Amino acid sequence: MPVQGLRTVTSARNGVGAFILQCKRLDFHYCNHGGSSRGMLAFLTQTLPEFARENPQIEVRVAPRHGKHPVIKGQYINGREKAICVRNMEPGEILKKAMILKDASGEKLKRTKKPVTSLNESVRGIWSPYHGDLRGV
Amino acid sequence: MKRLQLQRWSSTVLSPRARTSNKLHQHLYSASLRHQSTVAPLQTESPTQNVIEDASLDLEDPELKLRLDSVHKRKSQLKYPSPPVNAAAESAKLAALHARLYLPSRLPLETLARTLVDVSADPNADFNNESLATLGHDLLTYYTSEHLLATYPRLPLTVIFAAMYAYVGPKTLAAMSKEWGVDVASLPGGEVDPGFLQFKRVEPGTDLSKATKGKGPRPYAEAKNWRKTVTSKIFYDDEFGDPIKGSNEAGAGVPDELARATAVRALMGAIYLHSGRPAAKLFFQQHVLSRSLNISQLFNFSQPARDLTRLCARENFEKPVAKIISETGRLSRHPVFVVGIFSGQDKLGEGAGASLLEARERAALAALKGWYLYSPLNVRVPSSMEEEGAAPWKPAYVDLGEVIS
Amino acid sequence: MFSRSVLRSLTSDLRLSAPTSVSSVNAISQRACLHQTAWLRTTQQQSEPQSSSPIPEAPLSATSQTPLQNTISQSRNAIPLEKQPVAPTFTSPIEVSKSLMEQLPHLVGQTPHYVVAELHARPYLLTEGDHIRLPFLMPKVKTGDILRFNRASALGSRDFTLKGAPHIDERLFECRVRVIGVESEPLRIKEKTKRRQRHVKQAKSKHRYTIMRVMDVRVKSPEELLEEGAVVVEDAEDSPQIEARS
Repeated sequence: MPVQGLRTVTSARNGVGAFILQCKRLDFHYCNHGGSSRGMLAFLTQTLPEFARENPQIEVRVAPRHGKHPVIKGQYINGREKAICVRNMEPGEILKKAMILKDASGEKLKRTKKPVTSLNESVRGIWSPYHGDLRGV
Repeated sequence: MKRLQLQRWSSTVLSPRARTSNKLHQHLYSASLRHQSTVAPLQTESPTQNVIEDASLDLEDPELKLRLDSVHKRKSQLKYPSPPVNAAAESAKLAALHARLYLPSRLPLETLARTLVDVSADPNADFNNESLATLGHDLLTYYTSEHLLATYPRLPLTVIFAAMYAYVGPKTLAAMSKEWGVDVASLPGGEVDPGFLQFKRVEPGTDLSKATKGKGPRPYAEAKNWRKTVTSKIFYDDEFGDPIKGSNEAGAGVPDELARATAVRALMGAIYLHSGRPAAKLFFQQHVLSRSLNISQLFNFSQPARDLTRLCARENFEKPVAKIISETGRLSRHPVFVVGIFSGQDKLGEGAGASLLEARERAALAALKGWYLYSPLNVRVPSSMEEEGAAPWKPAYVDLGEVIS
Repeated sequence: MFSRSVLRSLTSDLRLSAPTSVSSVNAISQRACLHQTAWLRTTQQQSEPQSSSPIPEAPLSATSQTPLQNTISQSRNAIPLEKQPVAPTFTSPIEVSKSLMEQLPHLVGQTPHYVVAELHARPYLLTEGDHIRLPFLMPKVKTGDILRFNRASALGSRDFTLKGAPHIDERLFECRVRVIGVESEPLRIKEKTKRRQRHVKQAKSKHRYTIMRVMDVRVKSPEELLEEGAVVVEDAEDSPQIEARS
C-alpha cells in the first residue's frame, strides 16, 4: 500500500463558525420563609422572566429549597457546575451574578500568562540553525 | 400516605359509586409501579379508560381531579415508546437547544424533538429520526466531499476517506452533539422529556461485530484474504472506506456514539427539509467546516522515496536526487543532516534527521505532501452554483489521480 | 517541467495546515457590520461602493443574525449617545503604491496568514481560530458579539510580511473576532503587613477577562481593493512594502 489515511477527529473551535453559549442551564433555588431569600424572591418575580426571554439558549429552572440560603447553579456544556450563593442580595446584584454564570465557560479557573493560545502551527515556521546565512566566527 | 388513608376511608364510608375511584387508585398505584419498573408499558384496554373518564367527570374534589388528569396524561404518554408530539412545545430543554443552535424559526420544535428519537427507541418510522438521518448523512457527506475535492484536488483516495471520517465521521458528529449540550436519556419512553436524546443502549456482553444482519453490496465479502483495491471501495463501501453493514436487528441496542451521530445527521436533514438548501449549507459550514483539521497529518507513507520516483517519472520531471544541504556533528552522538531532494535544478522537498536515511525519507515525505496538498486559489465548490446570482462556473482543476494506487 | 510557480506552490503547500474555507468568508462578512465598538470600527459601511451595493439578504436565521441584532439594540440603548461607536470616516479612498500592488498577490496567495493586531497599544499575534484572553475585561461587549480589529502593525504569511509604519491601513485586511465569554482568574490573596504590628491585612483580587476567538484573518486581493475604489499611486519613500523572507 503506497499511502494510508490516518483517522482522526476534527477539533472544535467554538465561535469560528457557529457560537454556542457554554452555559446550558441555570437553577435558581430559594426558600419561602428565610429572610436571606427576600431579594431572590423579588428577583424571581420581577427580573427572571425578562432574563429568561433575553437568553433563550439557557434552560431556567426554579426550585424551592426549604430552610437554606438562595443559590444560583449553572450547568455547563463541559459537564461542570458552578454555584453562587446569593443570600441577602438585592435583585440587581443577583442579576449580575446570573450574568457571571451565563458568560462563564464552565472551565476551572486558571491563571494564564499568555493572552493567545493557538491550535495552528506557527505561520512563519520554527527557526532552524542550519538554514539562512551562516556568519563566520 | 394520603392514598392509603383514602382507601381505608373509602372502604368503610363511601358509596359503591365512589368506589370506582378506589379502583382507580389501585390502578394508579399499579400504573406508577409499571412506570418505575423496567417492563415495557402495556397498552391499556379501553374499558379501564372509560372508567377513568367517568370518574374524573363525577368527582368534584379539585385535587383529586388534578391528579386524575396527570394520571391520564401519564398513561397516554406510557402508551407510546417515544414522547408524544405535543410534549415538544412544553419542553424547556428542547426550546433551549433550538435557541442555542440558532436554528431557523421555520424548523418547528416538534421536528427537533423527532431528530432526537433513535430508531432503537421508537421503531415507528413516522416518529423516529431514521429517514431524516439518511437525508442528512447524504447532505453532510456530499458537502464535505465536494469541499475536499475542490480544495485539495490531488489528495489520494485513502486520505480523502480519512478526511471525510474526520469531518463527518460518527466520532466527530457525536462530539459535536456533546458540544451542543445534547443530553442522553438513560431509557427511552413516552414520559421522557423530548429534549433528551433517546435510544436503546446495547446490552452488556453483546458482540458488536456480529450484531448486524444482511450483507453489503460487495461480492465475495466473506473472502477475508482477498485483496480489496482502493478503487473498489468507491463502489462497494461507504463514504469513509468502511464496508457497508446490513441494518441492525429490530429491537437491538445502539452504541451511544452512533445514536448521537444519527441525531446530528437527522438535524441536518430536518434543516434541509424545513428551511431549504442555503440554510442547510450554512449550517454545514458553521458547524462542520469551521472545525480544525490538519490534513497534512493524515498521511501515512510506507515508502516515500519510491513514491516520489514514480511521481517524477509520471510527470516527466527529472529523476529526484537527494543532496546534503548542511550537516553538523557527523561523528558525534547526535548528528543532524539536512537533506534536500532535487529534480534537476528544482528543490522538491527538504528534511532534517539524525541519519542520512532518515533525513532523506523526511525530505521525500515533504516533497510528496507538497504535491498532494496542492490547493488552487479562490476555490469554488459545485454547490455554490445553487446560490442566486452566482458567477458563471469555471471548471475546477481535476488531477490525474494518485501516483500509485 | 517544474516551473517556478509550481515549485512555489509546492513549498507553500508543504505548510498548509488548517483548511481555510473560502466560501465561508461571505457568510462571515455579512455579519461583519453587526457590531462596532467605539474603538473598533468597520470599514464596510463606509466605503462608497460597499454602501451602494445591497447587503445580500440573509438566507436564513440559522446564523446568529437575529439574536445578535437583538442584543445590540439592547446594548445600544444603554450607551449614551456621545459614547456610541463612530463609523470610520475616510476622506479619501485608499492609496496603494504600484510596488505594493505588484507584490500583494504573493502575500494573498500564500496561506495561512497571521496578523499582529494592536489593542490598547499591545500587540497580539493572531491566526484564524486562535483563542484570545484579553488582559482586561472589555466593557460594553456581550457574549456572541463580533468585533473587527482594525489596527495592525504587521500582516504576513510564511514568506512575506507587510509591515505598517506604524500601522497598516485597515482597508487592506479583515480580522474578525467573536466574544465568547468572560473568565476570571482564581482568587489571589496577598498578605499585607506593616512593621511592629501583628495585624495582617489580606488583599484579595479576582480579575475578570474577556475571552475571544479569531474568526478570520484575510488579506484583500488587489482586485478587491480596486473594486472598493483604491487608487494606485507612484511609489513614495514611506509607502508600505511587502518584505520577502531572505
